[in-house]
Amino acid sequence: MATHPRELTAPPAVLRTTALRRSFGERHVLDGVNLEIGRGEFVALIGRSGSGKSTLLRAVAGLDDTVDGSGEVLVPERVSLVFQDSRLLPWLRLLDNVVLGQSGAAARERGRAMLAEVGLAGRERAWPHELSGGEQQRAALARSLVGEPQLLLADEPFGALDALTRIRMHALLRALLRTHGPAVLLVTHDVDEAVLLADRVLVIEDGAFSLDLRIDLPAERTAEHPDVSRYRARLLAALGIGAPVTSPASLSGRTSS
Amino acid sequence: MTGTLIPALARGRAAAPAVAGPDRVAEASAPAALEAPRISPQSRRRRLGRGRLFPGARLAGPLLVLLVWQVAASAGLLDPRLLTGPDVVAVSGWGLLQDGTLATHVGASLGRAVLGLALGTVAGVVLAVVAGLTRVGESLVDGTLQVKRAIPNLALIPLLILWLGIGEEFKVTIVALGVLIPIYINTYSALTGIDTKHIELAESLGLTRWQYVRSVLLPGALPGFFVGFRLAVVGSWMALIVVETINATSGIGYMMSQAQLYAQSDIILVGLVVYGIFGFTSDALVRLLERRVLSWRRTLAS
Repeated sequence: MATHPRELTAPPAVLRTTALRRSFGERHVLDGVNLEIGRGEFVALIGRSGSGKSTLLRAVAGLDDTVDGSGEVLVPERVSLVFQDSRLLPWLRLLDNVVLGQSGAAARERGRAMLAEVGLAGRERAWPHELSGGEQQRAALARSLVGEPQLLLADEPFGALDALTRIRMHALLRALLRTHGPAVLLVTHDVDEAVLLADRVLVIEDGAFSLDLRIDLPAERTAEHPDVSRYRARLLAALGIGAPVTSPASLSGRTSS
Repeated sequence: MTGTLIPALARGRAAAPAVAGPDRVAEASAPAALEAPRISPQSRRRRLGRGRLFPGARLAGPLLVLLVWQVAASAGLLDPRLLTGPDVVAVSGWGLLQDGTLATHVGASLGRAVLGLALGTVAGVVLAVVAGLTRVGESLVDGTLQVKRAIPNLALIPLLILWLGIGEEFKVTIVALGVLIPIYINTYSALTGIDTKHIELAESLGLTRWQYVRSVLLPGALPGFFVGFRLAVVGSWMALIVVETINATSGIGYMMSQAQLYAQSDIILVGLVVYGIFGFTSDALVRLLERRVLSWRRTLAS
């Protein structure tokens, strides 16, 4: 795989993987991945299911001890993870969930402030199951940011939410990143989400990157921005989906061919 | 007409007759509306579930049995040597309570049950934690206890009498062994069955081993422990009945086997009632404790 030409202005890297290989039996899910993410950079990773995007994220997160592989992963000291499900522990109240693993006297204060930032002030003593799905995921975001990570890894964090909640979560995530400024590696299957949030979108296919696309849009962007559809089309093409189907005629044409 | 439409989901009993009036008026004054779909107040849907339980319903069965029993006894249908009436049982029970006999025996039984339960619970939890947390512990403890599980507790009585005599140690040991197994089995399976997602979360948060055990593993296994504990409480009474009926000089079981020698069916029944009360009360207490400790689950179950 060709390495990407590095810009001279590129910020120092917080994550670097070199020749990362992972395989399940005979199948090479990651085939020599070189990835570098700069400080504060938001990278979205998209790909079809089975393309290796989750495997890459788990490798970076160090959650794949049992998987065969080789290569080097350099990560910063503070890395945190957000999963598709909130993974709040049902037997801990919300604040205890948020500060789990945090030490020091100020941890609870930080947790309280973090809950307020995600709009859950006053819910510190709630049990996780008393919250809606969106609220649970907001609490999970609070938990992932309370330790001020330098790198935030997110594995389809909004995949299980309804469309309206997802839009609100995008705005929240953007606001949180502005304040806390970690680099982000977001795995998603949602092309729009990738274009709307990321500085850079990587398309992964058969365990290697097939496209590395910089998104030159203002940080505060909406789906109405004229360039968004251009980026979306390029990414869809890279995913092998082609132009969106618009009429029943083209639909039948596609199925018959 | 729209006033007669009530949401299909509203099933209030009071709501139906209140809107029946306008509907009838509309029907009479609009013969042209023949083809229009008939709109009528939502009648209550047929309930197919079992319906609601009336208060104190669970007592109905036992009370009926008591009534039939009393009627049969009063009518002279029962041989008092084999089965006395409830009134006689009540009087005998009162008598035993008055002269302190009942208190002595109940105290002896309760002491054995509580001590055996405590020892068995501690041992069961410790073994489950050892087996559930470490592979070495698992290989040493689990196989051994599975073998122990296959041997009926009562089959150990001859050996235990040989080792411990027929005193209190023997009785408490039998109770504790009966308690140990359900506590161990359920706690161990809860500890090893912990959701891997929770383990992953703990790893991603960089928890230390001790933080993981305290915040994730033990609280996660607590529901399993309580399943075992409820079985253990019942099991402790069962073991008690056996040991007190075989070799004892005090306890409810002893009182009953003495009564058997003198064909005092009323005293046997007093003993049965006491066992019943104990079993029922202890289960209720455990459930109360469980609700307290697992309060995070309460709203889930309701």
